[in-house]
Amino acid sequence: MEQREKSKAKRRDFLKLLGVGSIAGAAVAATGADAPAGEPEAKPEGAGYRETPHVRKYYETARF
Amino acid sequence: MTAVSAAAAQASPAGDADAERVPEEELFRSCIYGLLARVLAAPPDAALLLNLRGLMGDDTELGRAFDAVAQAAAATTPDRAAEEYHALFIGLTRGELLPYGSYYLTGFLHEKPLAALRRDLSALGIARAETVREPEDHAAALCEVMAGLIDGAYGAAQPVAAQRQFFESHLAPWIGRFFADLTGAKAAVFYKTIGELGRRFVEIERAAFAMEP
Repeated sequence: MEQREKSKAKRRDFLKLLGVGSIAGAAVAATGADAPAGEPEAKPEGAGYRETPHVRKYYETARF
Repeated sequence: MTAVSAAAAQASPAGDADAERVPEEELFRSCIYGLLARVLAAPPDAALLLNLRGLMGDDTELGRAFDAVAQAAAATTPDRAAEEYHALFIGLTRGELLPYGSYYLTGFLHEKPLAALRRDLSALGIARAETVREPEDHAAALCEVMAGLIDGAYGAAQPVAAQRQFFESHLAPWIGRFFADLTGAKAAVFYKTIGELGRRFVEIERAAFAMEP
């Protein structure tokens, strides 16, 4: 467990050092969220704050 | 220090059903993949260009790449961006570039890399949407999958090990080269900055995954 926490911390520090890591990158979040007008699509489950109905046209959760 | 800071809006993290909240730097990765997917799937419309203009990078390579995207977004229009996109990816029979894994790895479309991708997608419970005609190994689609693996769009948020597996199998062998090609493509002006953002981000991804035990 200790090892896992260490490697998580290492990864987090690495990403942040290189500039990856702000939840306030809301503008980046918003850039994925725009859908062209007139393209209604059901919001996929678990999409949370990042709605990308236009992008998500590629994939959906497979239903068996 | 962070790569991007922005005005307004708050983002609430995804994965409220997940036992462990996805850390913010991981969600940020998901956002970057989401942005790449968005502009590789279709040219940016006016609203997206407006959003991109608001990106502000910090003093890292990645931050500077965001700044360049913001400047390019300010300098273009939806029509010009659409013309670029068309020249780069559509053309009369083909665009300047073919952003497909099979093509980069074998010289042909619909090859073994696509078959391997489909198997792994199936195992992850992800299927191509019925309305989509392109093969799944399109750069936009792969970025979309990465975003979803990170933030739980296809069910549970995947652990880093699973993300790594997918990245190293289906993106790492070729997508850096694609982004480099995009940077150097004749028709690319706005998309030149996207290529550079993608290239730098993929390098960070590669290095971060390689650090995993």
